[in-house]
Amino acid sequence: MNLEKVVFGFFVLLAATLNFGFFIGDIADPALHNVYELFAAVVVSLIATVLKFGDRTQIGAVHLATSLVADLQLIAATIVWTYAAHISTDGLTAAAMASVVSLSGGALFANVVSVVLLVIETVSFHRR
Amino acid sequence: MSNPLLAFWFRLFGRDDDHRLSPGLRRRIPVASASQASATIFLILRRMRAPLIVLITIFAISVLGLTLVPGRTEDGQLWRMSIFDAFYFMSYTASTIGFGELPQTFSDAQRLWVTVSIYLTVIGWAYAIGSLLALVQDRAFRQALALQHFMRMVARLREPFFLIAGYGRTGELLGEAFDALGKRFVVLDDDEDRIEALELAAYHADVPGLVADARDPGHLGVAGLANPHCEAVLALTDDDEVNLAVAMAAALLRPDLPVIARTMSPAIGERMAAFGTPTVVNPFDRFGDHLRIALRAPASYQLITWMESGPGTELPARGSPPERGRWVVCGYGRLGRELIPDLRAEGIDVTVVDPVADTAAHEGGIVRGHGYEPAVLQQANVAGAVGFVAGTDNDTTNLSLVTAARRVNPGLFVAARQNSPSSAPLFAAMNVDSLLVPTEVLAHEVFTQLSTPLLWRFLQEVPARGDRWAARLVDCITQRCGRRLDALWKVRLSRADAPALIPWIDTGEARLGVLLRDPDDRDVQLPVVVLMVMRDGECVLTPDDDFVLAPDDELLLCGRLAARRAVDTTMVVKAAREYVVSGRHVPVSWIWRRFSGVA
Repeated sequence: MNLEKVVFGFFVLLAATLNFGFFIGDIADPALHNVYELFAAVVVSLIATVLKFGDRTQIGAVHLATSLVADLQLIAATIVWTYAAHISTDGLTAAAMASVVSLSGGALFANVVSVVLLVIETVSFHRR
Repeated sequence: MSNPLLAFWFRLFGRDDDHRLSPGLRRRIPVASASQASATIFLILRRMRAPLIVLITIFAISVLGLTLVPGRTEDGQLWRMSIFDAFYFMSYTASTIGFGELPQTFSDAQRLWVTVSIYLTVIGWAYAIGSLLALVQDRAFRQALALQHFMRMVARLREPFFLIAGYGRTGELLGEAFDALGKRFVVLDDDEDRIEALELAAYHADVPGLVADARDPGHLGVAGLANPHCEAVLALTDDDEVNLAVAMAAALLRPDLPVIARTMSPAIGERMAAFGTPTVVNPFDRFGDHLRIALRAPASYQLITWMESGPGTELPARGSPPERGRWVVCGYGRLGRELIPDLRAEGIDVTVVDPVADTAAHEGGIVRGHGYEPAVLQQANVAGAVGFVAGTDNDTTNLSLVTAARRVNPGLFVAARQNSPSSAPLFAAMNVDSLLVPTEVLAHEVFTQLSTPLLWRFLQEVPARGDRWAARLVDCITQRCGRRLDALWKVRLSRADAPALIPWIDTGEARLGVLLRDPDDRDVQLPVVVLMVMRDGECVLTPDDDFVLAPDDELLLCGRLAARRAVDTTMVVKAAREYVVSGRHVPVSWIWRRFSGVA
C-alpha cells in the first residue's frame, strides 16, 4: 500500500464530498448551507492542491489545473459570502446566497473531474 | 527529472535503421525540452509541499477555533467571531503585524485560544520561510535556475551568434573584439570563476554564459548548437581532448557549421581534421610559420602583422632579421617541437637546450641543462649564435633566459614565449625581437577568419608573393593612406549592395581605377588601396587600375574612413557614378531627370 496515494486520494475525495455537502439544498436558502462546511471545503481544497505540486506527469498537470479551478471557485464563493454577510447593507439575501452556492457548484464540477482523473489514474496504474 | 540526453542517445542509437549522417539528425540535437526549463518551478513546488500544507492546516485550525470560542460584547451579550473576522485576525497575527483585538475586545477564553494559535502560526511561518530560503541557497536549485535563465537568453537570440567553448584569455580577447563589432556570442566553460568574470565584463550586449562541460553534446545543444542563428563553433578550451570532443560533436550534429578548434598537439589536430573540415589553429605552429616569414621576408611579416592587428593601428616597424647562422632554442616542449623543424626547413642550424630532452627525438645538437646557467650557455655556444629562443612554459625562466643570453651575446635576435597575460609588462620592458603570446596568436587568427574571411584569404596568399612585392604594397598603402590603418572592409559589387554600378559594369568597360576616384572631384584619387579582388573563388592580389570589374566581384579595400564613405556613395548614387565615370553632372531627382530627358 502506498501511503502517499492514500493521503492524496483521501484529500481529493474529501474536497469533493465537502463541496457537495455545502452545495446540496435549496440554492437561495441560507439555512440549508452551513458556512463552516464552505470553510472546510476551502481548506481541504487548498491542501489537495498543494499535494499535487511537483507531479510532472501529464495527468498530474491536469490534476493540478482542475484543483486550481476548484480553489478559484471556492475562494470566489467565500468572498461573495463575506461581502454579503459583512459589507453590504442588505445582509445575506437570497440572491447573494444563490450566487455563493452556484460558485461552489462550479467548484463541485471541477472536483468531480478531479475524482474522475483519480479513478482513471488508479485503473491505469497496473497497466503502465 | 527526466534526462533529455538519455532520450537523445536512445533516439540516436535506439533504431538500427538510421546510423547514417542525415539532415534529420539535426533535429535530434539534444536540447533539453521545455519541461526541463520549467524544472525550477516544479522544484519549488515539490519542496514547498510540506511547509505549505502545515501552514494551511495551522491556519484552518486557528481560524476554526477562533469562531467557536465564545466571547462577550460590552453589554454582556454572547458573541462569536464570524469566519471572516477570525481569518482577518489570524492573518495579521500570524504574519506578526498585529492590529490589536478586532472587531472588539476578546474574552479570556478567546485570548487563551489566540495564545495557542500565535505559537502554532509562528512555527508554521518559520518552517515555510526557512524551507524557501534553504531552497534558494540550494546548489541544485541555483544550477537549475542558471540553466533556465541561460536557455531563455539563447532562445531569445534573434541574430547570428558564435558558440564559444572555453572562455580563457583567448575567449576574453575574442569576446572583446566580437563585442566591438556588435557580434553576439554564447559561452560555455566548466570553470565557475570564468563565467563570473564573463558576467562582470563590460560588454555592450548580454552574453549568455553557462558553467558546463562542453564535452557533453547536451550542453552544446542548450548553448544553441541547434539554433538556426548559430554561425560558427569555436573550441578554445585549454584542454585538447575537450576541443576535440566539441569539434566532433559540432561536425556530427551540424555539418553545415564552420568549426574553429584550438590545439597544442599535431596529433589531436589530425584527429580533428577527420571530422568534417574544421579550421585547426595551433598557436605554436603558427608562431613557427610567422618566425620563418619574419626571418625570410621582413616586409611580408610587417604587412601581415599590420593587417592582422585590426583597424586604427600604426604601421609596425620592419624587423631586421639576423644574418644566417646558428640558433639556440631553450625548451624542447610543444613549442620547440613545432619550431625546430621550421627553422631546419629554412636551412638553419639549431642547438637545443633542455634539462630533459629526449635525444632520440631530435637529431643534432642537444645540451642538457637549464639555459640560464652560464656553463650551459657556454656549452651551447650562445656567443657564436645569431638567434635565441626562450620557449619554456614558465615566464620567469624565459625572462632569465633572455637576460642570461643577452649578457653573453648582446647582438642576439631574441624570440621569447609569454605564457601568462600578467607578465606582459615585463616582456615589454625586455624589448625582445619577436614575442609569442599563444593566446593572442590564437585570438588574432580566429578573429581574422571570422570577421573578415577575405582578409584571411589575403594573408594566406601574402608569403608566396615574396618580400619585394610586400615592401611595394606597404609603400603604396603608406603613400596613399598614411601610416595608420583606418579601415579594412569588403564590398560586394552585387545588385543589392552596388545598384548604381551594375549598368556600368555590364558594359564590360568598368575599370577599377575609375571606381577609386573621388565623387566630389574626379581628378583626385581616393586614399584607398584595393588589396584583393575575389571572383568565383579565384582571387587577384593588388589588381592595377586597368582591372576590369565583373558583377558580384568581392573587393577587399583598406584606406581612410572618408574613402570608405566616398566609395559607398559611388556604389549607390547613380549621379555620383555617372560623374566619376564620364565627368558629366546629371540631375539626381526624378523631376529634373524627366525635364532633362535623362530618365
